[in-house]
Amino acid sequence: MTMTHNRSETELVVVPGAKRRRRRDVAGRRPGLLKFGHWWWALPGILLVLAIHYVATTVGGFFAFTDWSGIGDFSWVGLDNFAEIFSDPSQILALSNTLFLAFASVVLSNIAGLTLAVALNRTLKTRYVLRVLFFMPVVLSPLAVSYVWKFIFDYNGPINVVLRAVGLGDLATAWVADPAWAIWTILVVVVWQNTGFAMVIYMAGLAAVPIEIEEAAAIDGAGLWQRFWHVTLPSIRPAIAISTTLGLVNGLRVFDQIMAMTGGGPAGATETLATQVYKESFALGNFGYGAALALVLTVIILVFAVIQQRMTSGRPDES
Amino acid sequence: MSQHRHTALRRSALVAIPAVAALLLAGCSGSGSGDETGGGDGAAEFSFTFATSNNLESPYESLAKAYMAEHPEVKITTNPTPNDKYGETIRTQLQAGNASDVIQTTPGSGDARGLIPLAEAGFLEPLGETAQGLVPAGSESIFEIDGETYGQPMDFTIAAVVASMGTAGQNGIDEWPTTESDLLDACGALAADGKSLLVLAGAAGPNAGLTAQGISATRVYAEDPDWNQQRADGETTFAESDGWQATLQEIIDLNDAGCFQPGVEGAGFDAITNGLAQGTSVGSFIPSGSAVEIAAAAPPEVDFKIQPFPAADGGDPYILASSNYTISINAASEKKEPAAEFVEWLATSEAQELYYEKSGLLPISEYQSLDLSETIYSPIVELLADGAYTTLPNNVWPNPSVYEALQVGVQGLLTGQKTIDQVLQDMDAAWEG
Repeated sequence: MTMTHNRSETELVVVPGAKRRRRRDVAGRRPGLLKFGHWWWALPGILLVLAIHYVATTVGGFFAFTDWSGIGDFSWVGLDNFAEIFSDPSQILALSNTLFLAFASVVLSNIAGLTLAVALNRTLKTRYVLRVLFFMPVVLSPLAVSYVWKFIFDYNGPINVVLRAVGLGDLATAWVADPAWAIWTILVVVVWQNTGFAMVIYMAGLAAVPIEIEEAAAIDGAGLWQRFWHVTLPSIRPAIAISTTLGLVNGLRVFDQIMAMTGGGPAGATETLATQVYKESFALGNFGYGAALALVLTVIILVFAVIQQRMTSGRPDES
Repeated sequence: MSQHRHTALRRSALVAIPAVAALLLAGCSGSGSGDETGGGDGAAEFSFTFATSNNLESPYESLAKAYMAEHPEVKITTNPTPNDKYGETIRTQLQAGNASDVIQTTPGSGDARGLIPLAEAGFLEPLGETAQGLVPAGSESIFEIDGETYGQPMDFTIAAVVASMGTAGQNGIDEWPTTESDLLDACGALAADGKSLLVLAGAAGPNAGLTAQGISATRVYAEDPDWNQQRADGETTFAESDGWQATLQEIIDLNDAGCFQPGVEGAGFDAITNGLAQGTSVGSFIPSGSAVEIAAAAPPEVDFKIQPFPAADGGDPYILASSNYTISINAASEKKEPAAEFVEWLATSEAQELYYEKSGLLPISEYQSLDLSETIYSPIVELLADGAYTTLPNNVWPNPSVYEALQVGVQGLLTGQKTIDQVLQDMDAAWEG
């Protein structure tokens, strides 16, 4: 009691008291049981993760060095599958499309997401309704919305109907089957669906930026853009790291939108590594080759995720 | 004390790890027991997997029900499986050991559900003399390995133009064009009215591929019925073949002449259904059985007929006609005897007539005795009688990638992304692949 009387009010709230230390000691009487319990509870999860994730992935990786067709016997072919991938122009195109969709979707959806997050962060009265509206595409099934977008881009769809109605019928085209436009239609859908997710991450980041800092900058004479660039943006650096990393990983493995809208066409113009993995492994029965493509995709995702983390990680400079 | 605790922990772990492993293994084995069809005496119960494209009752479902009605002691568990994932599904099930006892397959090796690679991998059981007797002459290589038959043909599918003669008549085309120039004239007349003679799902690989194959019947196989064998023997290639060059050139010519509907390169299967049912297009290269389904959604005056695609000038009409659906028995099945009896029954007149009634496809064992003069098949009766047909080429090709190259190539020709030579070289590369 004497000890309690001698402490300041702040210490009473912040610094753990003697009672708390005693409680820890009581809990510490049976550390073995606690440790045992933790290990025991985690075991089923660990086994499942190992079996389903790592063992399955490793076995799949093994098949990348074989000529297995998905059924029957197989033989070891070494690096032949990889040599074939990098000498096939259609796979190089698939790789370029993968990287294009990943980086373009990350840049566009993050710029749009950050803009929306800043705009809907404070002051605007309708911001809660607008947040829901902009986030809604995220919760929809990518496959389902892609079929809706396919209808929108269809030759007889709403876009061409509007173009014809305003006298621009010459511009009407089968958008998803036009070699020049098909990849952009995919990009539009991916960005449209990812923007809401980026917005939410940035809103969470912005909520943690104290308004006092911005006010202090404003008092010091910083303009709107200067406050955003020198105060807000550095403060939400962790949010940028998370949003761009997740966006990049999702962008590298984009699949549903392509399969639903173009099926990889026209004539392979929108194929990505993910769609090629599926087609080679399951539709064409080249399981070994498909596994090699999957391995290439995995390595690419890993490399870019690490680079991305290195570039954007690090806590904001508190000095 | 501490040592005692560690011992207890290790002992618990020794018990816990096997227990969890056993639970997991039990879970795995539980999920993998799909081939158990309900126990009983095991002699009169088996499972049957087949592909289905819609929520209507499949002809195979009807056949199973009819068999059970006739054999009350038999119970067939049917597993309708979506058509677009069918090949990979049965391959996975066969590999995992939990496939059904009776499986719908396709002849040859040009498809993921093709029976030849499945039989080579040891997944299919050799069938009896009934199946062997139904194999069309000259098509043995896509049903048999070393004299053993692994798939019993069910149908005799015609791949030609399914045309609405009602729509044609309404647009001033009283007779189906029989020459190249008549065809192009008809295309021009219809295009001027905002309609098309043919509707092609350019973005749907199977339809693009079937269209090219249908045209190849007149440009390649009418002259060289054994062209595929020549290709297999290395005596020719797609790129060297004048017939295949002419086939792909014909697709470009048809597109340039407005024979296909606007936006053809991006069209899906819905364009075919809508075009034929709504009368904006006259015909399409679709399997003959599909005409029956589309007719159900169209007004009665559509009057569908299976029409041969016009031959090149100086050539003879020729069509594709072959069995595209087979029934096989799982080599790992424990119910082979009742399964084999069911497969035998499928070849009976009763079963074949039911199959024709439900699917609209000509039945393999009965089509020669059927009177087709009043049916949608009437325009090709003479061609069938004269033997002016060949089997669907991709069934004979050595792997699915060749057909994939053709499908992608046709869309590439429509969009201008590929040249004829590129498409044919891609097909050759896939053949060698």
